[in-house]
Amino acid sequence: MRKFGMALAIVAMMSGSVVTAQTAYAAQSSHDTTTYTQPAVPVGPAVQMLDCFGTTGGMGCGPGWVWRDGWRGWACYPC
Amino acid sequence: MNKIRTMAGGFAAAAVLTMSGFGYAAAQPGDFSTLPVDPNLITDSLAYNAAPAVYNPNGQPGVETVYTHRDGSRTITTTVLVLPDAGAAAAALDGARAGLAVANGKSQPAAVGSGGTMLTGMSPDGSKSVTVLSFTEGNTATTIEFAGAPKDPAPSDLVLELGRKQDTAIRDWQAA
Repeated sequence: MRKFGMALAIVAMMSGSVVTAQTAYAAQSSHDTTTYTQPAVPVGPAVQMLDCFGTTGGMGCGPGWVWRDGWRGWACYPC
Repeated sequence: MNKIRTMAGGFAAAAVLTMSGFGYAAAQPGDFSTLPVDPNLITDSLAYNAAPAVYNPNGQPGVETVYTHRDGSRTITTTVLVLPDAGAAAAALDGARAGLAVANGKSQPAAVGSGGTMLTGMSPDGSKSVTVLSFTEGNTATTIEFAGAPKDPAPSDLVLELGRKQDTAIRDWQAA
């Protein structure tokens, strides 16, 4: 009788552990706490914008502009 | 006594200079020398060289000045005619427009003066691009002609900017 009681107690403990584990797993699956991180953007090759003549521009004229002596005299003019 | 004489002479000289020198500097009726606006006002300040002004061009009262770019490839010709009244100015402008030699010309209104018009095209022989801004302001009729290389027409913003400065100069001259 005593052995039977011990066996019953062991079975109860094991079944209780299994049930508790399932409950915890269910809770984890419904509340995902995984932290996702944004992958770093790879640094590509630097782009150097060019002026009308394929150079980096003169006198501070930006891309799409060129330094020349035009209607307004020496100034930046669109290509 | 000598000091008094010296002072009196100085006052007399100053009076003469004031009466004569300053008098010539101010715009007088019939003095058109101050009318044309130098395009260097809106450039790098040295881009254009002015030819001597021609007074009363073609026998009409007024002034004409030709400004040539330092590289010789562009000219700006400003003609301001001063007529008895606004009606005569409008008629003179119509005549000037009719006499323009512009091939494939495209005309569009320009917000300059009264009846402002900008005509763009080519010279009859195709050797130059031509843009002509014309307008009246009171009793004056103005044409500003821009001539350049065939592929280098005058930018419209430059044309309008110079035209508006010319219009302002005319109004200031009329008010003086």
